[in-house]
Amino acid sequence: MSSKCYQIVTNNPKVKEEFQEAIYIKGDFEDVLTKTRDLVHKGAELVTHPLGASIRMLYSPYRSIIIKEKQDTINDFYIQTIENSIVTYQKHAATRREDSDNKHDYENVDYQLLLSSLKECESLFYDNHTLSGGAIQ
Amino acid sequence: MNLELRKINITDLKLGDQMKVENGTLTINEKKIIDELKEDVNIKDVKVDIAVPGEKVRIIPVKDVIEPRLKIEGEGKGFAGVSSDMAQLGSGKVNVLNGAAVVTIGDVVGFQEGVIDMWGEGAKWTPFSSTYNIVVDITPIDGLDPHTHEQTVRFAGLRAAEIIGEAANEVEPDEIKNYNLGNVHEETEKYPDLPKIAYVEMLISQGLLHDGYVYGVNTQDILPTYIHPNEELDGAVISGNCVAACDKITTYQHQNNSVILDLYEKHGKEINFQGVILTPEVTTLAGKFRTCDYTVKLCKSLGADGVVISEEGYGNPDSDLLMICKKLEDEDIKTVLITDECAGRDGMSQPLADTTPEAKAVVSTGNVSHVVTLPKADKVLGDDRAIATLAGGWEGCLENDGTIRCELNAVIGATSEIGYHNLTVKLY
Repeated sequence: MSSKCYQIVTNNPKVKEEFQEAIYIKGDFEDVLTKTRDLVHKGAELVTHPLGASIRMLYSPYRSIIIKEKQDTINDFYIQTIENSIVTYQKHAATRREDSDNKHDYENVDYQLLLSSLKECESLFYDNHTLSGGAIQ
Repeated sequence: MNLELRKINITDLKLGDQMKVENGTLTINEKKIIDELKEDVNIKDVKVDIAVPGEKVRIIPVKDVIEPRLKIEGEGKGFAGVSSDMAQLGSGKVNVLNGAAVVTIGDVVGFQEGVIDMWGEGAKWTPFSSTYNIVVDITPIDGLDPHTHEQTVRFAGLRAAEIIGEAANEVEPDEIKNYNLGNVHEETEKYPDLPKIAYVEMLISQGLLHDGYVYGVNTQDILPTYIHPNEELDGAVISGNCVAACDKITTYQHQNNSVILDLYEKHGKEINFQGVILTPEVTTLAGKFRTCDYTVKLCKSLGADGVVISEEGYGNPDSDLLMICKKLEDEDIKTVLITDECAGRDGMSQPLADTTPEAKAVVSTGNVSHVVTLPKADKVLGDDRAIATLAGGWEGCLENDGTIRCELNAVIGATSEIGYHNLTVKLY
């Protein structure tokens, strides 16, 4: 069984608290996307899509993205996906501001959606899916 | 499957001691609804109010909208597998309180913003301004985790629709609609020369406030699945998504899915309608590849010549939509996509978060970024504080006189991606 490491890129304090090995970004949603882009350009794979499923989640101050640590080859699909996501996010950021009034709710929903994604990962990857520093919980 | 929807037209709504329909007036016994819903130990308080078209009433934050009905013949009472016993839905006779709707409100989290205005400018943009609405405000007990809170409110709405549906008992319908579709072999024998068309309905399936349900099963946990269109018309598909106000598909819209109804209308005339494939929109890219492949395989197994695909949401679901489109077109299966646009205030930006050259036939259900002005309401049903959230997201849009300028994305059902809404498309 192969062993591959998964990582969470996040600016969500609640995620940082629960997953201490996560790559924690002191910054905003776009900074999370930018860090993810840098890692993808160095060979990391995107496991979850960088964007949420609704416009409302583009107002979120927090975002958590799961990646797979550096692979042997760089995959254009992942580069295209993260680059498109940044363009889309910037387009929205030009006319909307993040909804910081409800930041605690966004923090929690982002965390809950991350847990759902991790559960989805369990059903998808039969290999030894470990988070860097610990098993996916 | 043969389903008879017996429509009792509702033209007025009032509160009273009984649950009944008389000459088009629906009377609601609010005490009965409150008492029965409060049997759920997770519910602390229930308020029932009514809102009729034209009143200067704003309903916010809306969680779901549900059509009250009563099955008078055949298997399955109400929402089988969820608020009543599991049964095979899709056949039998159903009395429908046509024109009435249960609207559930209650904020699960602080940023739900879905609004229904029953009058004026706001009314133009939502199909639920023209329904006679029974507004059910649910306060759960303290300390519930968000998933249980969401489930409590979702179940209460479905149960309320079942309770109100009892008013349809022994009432003669104004109109009867029959929906009858045999298996794909029978229909192809009947219409060998008509193109075989399947409908792929995509559902947000991503976690808290971003879920859909089939017979109570969270679509996060399903592979794309085939259902008979009558099952959806009979209440098998339920909304659990309540942050994408304009393009969430409410349970009411599933019960009256416009794509299904239109495909039925053309069945045997222009097309041979093959049925519905429900496709979950998951969060992982590998999961998206899997659902895409599986959806295409089901379409090929049906022998479909063409597929209509409707999306739910915006953002990562755009990738699913376009992957499925590309793969079907690569297999020489024609596609028509239905989606809304997030095209900026002026409508000039790229409308989707993703694109592919194979997406040649796309029906737009409206621009979610279009800005509307909603005047102050005389009465707000729900949470006044949610109005600030509605206005949130950009500066200076809550005027001193209470007027709100907001994007269409805050208005429930404004840009329904299954076409159950007020906007239309013009070619220039």
